[in-house]
Amino acid sequence: MHIIDHPILEKDDRKVIQFYFNDEPLNAKAGQTIAAALMANGIKKLGVSRKLQQSRGLFCASGRCYSCFVTVDGLDHVLSCSTLVEDGMKVYSNLSDPEVRRGRE
Amino acid sequence: MNTDLLIVGGGPAGLNAAYKAASNGVKTTVIDKWFTLGGQLKQQTQFYNNLPHHFSKQRGFQLADHLVDRLKALDVWILENHTMIGAYQDGNVGVTDGSDTFPVNAEKIMITTGAMEEPEIFPGWTLPGVMTAGAAQILINRERVLPGERALILGSNDFALEVASQLHDCGIKVKGIVESGSELLCQNDELAVKMRDADIPVLLNSVIESATGKGEVEEVYVSTDGSKSLYDVDLICIAKGMTPILEPFEIMSCDFTYQAKLGGWLPRYDSTFKTTNPSVYIAGNAAGITSMGGILLTGEMAALSVLQALNATSSEKIEKEKQYLWDELYRIESTENRSVRDARLDVIKDLHYETGVQLPAYLDSVFGGLING
Repeated sequence: MHIIDHPILEKDDRKVIQFYFNDEPLNAKAGQTIAAALMANGIKKLGVSRKLQQSRGLFCASGRCYSCFVTVDGLDHVLSCSTLVEDGMKVYSNLSDPEVRRGRE
Repeated sequence: MNTDLLIVGGGPAGLNAAYKAASNGVKTTVIDKWFTLGGQLKQQTQFYNNLPHHFSKQRGFQLADHLVDRLKALDVWILENHTMIGAYQDGNVGVTDGSDTFPVNAEKIMITTGAMEEPEIFPGWTLPGVMTAGAAQILINRERVLPGERALILGSNDFALEVASQLHDCGIKVKGIVESGSELLCQNDELAVKMRDADIPVLLNSVIESATGKGEVEEVYVSTDGSKSLYDVDLICIAKGMTPILEPFEIMSCDFTYQAKLGGWLPRYDSTFKTTNPSVYIAGNAAGITSMGGILLTGEMAALSVLQALNATSSEKIEKEKQYLWDELYRIESTENRSVRDARLDVIKDLHYETGVQLPAYLDSVFGGLING
């Protein structure tokens, strides 16, 4: 849920944009991270752990713990806490061990 | 690229250092892995009442804006979304924007990477809905998103209570502060009063026994003196303290020391905030977890040392400024965190003892009996 009347900060006038999570269209605010936009839509589970397939979500929100991986526009292993959501972005849960990205050859 | 001073980390320490260095004509570059500058100060909505005299009292995010804005008029090269990932054999720093990596040739490097929050482990701690207190604060103040409706806070230090209070003010029902010890760790009486006013119970001698739920936190068992109670919460915020972020110092082959009062392992440094690598300086929470005043002041002092090393301005002027800054640091850390002040001095003295370099006279006068005694 979004905070409409923040006790301290000014009114939030960020533009509403649309993105997709597991093909479902969702609203976000421009300037939000993917993890926050999902949380605003009540989605906390972002993927599963690689070995035991346990639920994983946002933990540190600072790009350090690597708990919040998602797949973004075909790219696996993207940190949803440190990546801004974009209009039309297609985000998928991280449900399996991703392909390791190689350097340019 | 070439620069006189490369600052790694654009939080309050790095930004304040950049201002000092650049306003004295040092060509300064700031890199930060995040897409905005300001570091963790960006989501601090509370007032800082105990800042150095040359800063006015203000809220954290306002201070962050101030530190960023005043760099605009200066010749500072700012690279957001850039991370230090290594060092080349010739001493150049490897910086990447995620697709391209390039060497930065810097006369001096200042690493101001701050600190990370310590986790606390209990069965179910990896469930979505369990997050650090800092993460919850980012969500409410930067993202303007509620991370849950009903929360438990694990830990009772100042930051734990600050975040509990902010979550409460945003409409989240905070059902308890869970503290394993027999008394509240928070030193700030105002925050303790806020907990009472907000009807937030403090559960002493208590631990989280387990968190369970289908895909996210739904139920939490808290054990108090051996007796179990069930809490219906969807959010657990962990606030068990912070520890310095060290990787860039490891890359630069700095030596480390352990000081529990400063947050654990940290790089060794001397009274000029120079690490054991003569090209690398340190400031902010990376140099020991401290208050916002301490973060700002150490950034400024480290920048002065860089100016001195680069012969950028008169030594006499620098020494006078340093004296003022050390007085301020002593004043602020004496009221906010005396044990940090003493532990920091131990780190500094230890390195001076080893190198045989005398401590500057003003340090002696500032700390007086502490040094001699």
